[in-house]
Amino acid sequence: MTDVSNPVQAKHDVLIVGAGPAALTAAIYTTREDIETVLYERGVVGGLAAITDMIDNYPGFEDGIEGLKLAESLRKQAERFGAVIELGEVTAIHDEGEYKRLETTDGDKYARAVLIATGSDYKKIGVPGEETYYGRGVHYCATCDGAFYRDKTLVVVGGGNSAIQEAIFLTRFTTHIDLLVRSTIKASDVLQKDLQELVAAGKITVHLNTTTDEIVGKDKFVTSVKATKDGSPAEFTVDGVFVFVGLDPNSIFLKPTPIRLDEIGFVLTDQNLMTSMNGVFAAGDIRSGATMQIASAAGEGATAALKIREYLEGRKHPVQN
Amino acid sequence: MAKNITIFTTNTCGYCHMVKKYLGAKGMTWDEVNLDEQPHRQAEALQLSGAMTVPVTVVTKDDDSQEVIVGYNLAKLAPAVA
Ligand SMILES: Cc1cc2nc3c(=O)[nH]c(=O)nc-3n(C[C@H](O)[C@H](O)[C@H](O)COP(=O)(O)OP(=O)(O)OC[C@H]3O[C@@H](n4cnc5c(N)ncnc54)[C@H](O)[C@@H]3O)c2cc1C
Repeated sequence: MTDVSNPVQAKHDVLIVGAGPAALTAAIYTTREDIETVLYERGVVGGLAAITDMIDNYPGFEDGIEGLKLAESLRKQAERFGAVIELGEVTAIHDEGEYKRLETTDGDKYARAVLIATGSDYKKIGVPGEETYYGRGVHYCATCDGAFYRDKTLVVVGGGNSAIQEAIFLTRFTTHIDLLVRSTIKASDVLQKDLQELVAAGKITVHLNTTTDEIVGKDKFVTSVKATKDGSPAEFTVDGVFVFVGLDPNSIFLKPTPIRLDEIGFVLTDQNLMTSMNGVFAAGDIRSGATMQIASAAGEGATAALKIREYLEGRKHPVQN
Repeated sequence: MAKNITIFTTNTCGYCHMVKKYLGAKGMTWDEVNLDEQPHRQAEALQLSGAMTVPVTVVTKDDDSQEVIVGYNLAKLAPAVA
């Protein structure tokens, strides 16, 4: 039994950092095994899946499912079995033997096993104007801010799955989008087909070999984007810019710990999804080698939960000599 | 105590959902302005927040002073509605 009576120094069986698809799936598995589980979420329950408009490749939904709906269903399913979701941030993890101590925005928490499922956040391009016009013409979340661009024009920066998917979503508001792609488009065939239809309809113009150099504005709002296309300067007069150039791992809080990260900052694990700190596991987008999909994040969450159970059983029933 | 809370939202915005979830868990009520349904009120949200984003939460206090919270920001939202 865990002692959750002291809210400041509550001791848990499992504490999961994050409440995205990996975390919520893990919580469904641990709680169904009667393992007391608390999740800490600093942003949106459902993670990046909750801020994605439509998910077409999560198994079991033949017509696709809205990201927010999938997130809600995952949350309800985890809560049905007793998972507790706290709104707050984990800022450090310390190995204190049987219990790990986690510093959170609600004070210190203790857990026998920890699952890091913190995913990643949007990467910035790092050009002049990006910080200045953040939220006033520079955006990273189409489902949040797209509605402000009804009958307006946009630049979308990026050429991967997310950029194409979000550009397609934004056409429901905009009159025209210039898609600036540094090299070539690296998106799935299905997305490229949808993109081609919008290009043919004059809703999107694709600019390959185009780097974004500066976001220019006037009177607090964006007016244009300066770029280099095929080696020559180019300027796009638009009302706003949406940036989707990849993701940065949410692992800053792990840097001072002995938990090993790869050169980019993703968490290294062994075949049991355990990190270099005993009893601390990682699953989903934050894990080095992850395939960055909701289905695989959910799969890793389930695997991690089963490995955590084995780990806890080893602790509760140590092998007798 | 908050006398009145208004949240500017859109249908697809996950962070809007979190603001409503937080206030709901505290037993609070609010007026919602859904900008997908009332696009003409966008300018109002922009004027209040200075940003082209949702959620925008406007908390009117007992003394009629107003606090505007842009985005899902618990560090600001929690004390504003306490
Ligand atoms: C625009 C876009 C479109 C996408 N479309 C698809 C798609 O169609 N199909 C698909 O399969 N995948 C898609 N993906 C990828 C998919 O969203 C991710 O692979 C999936 O959400 C990863 O799940 P996760 O649980 O590992 O991490 P996340 O979903 O990133 O969740 C991690 C959570 O941890 C929280 N967190 C981080 N640090 C802390 C901390 N210190 N303390 C507390 N909480 C913390 C974060 O706030 C976040 O909510 C898309 C991604 C993007 C960006």
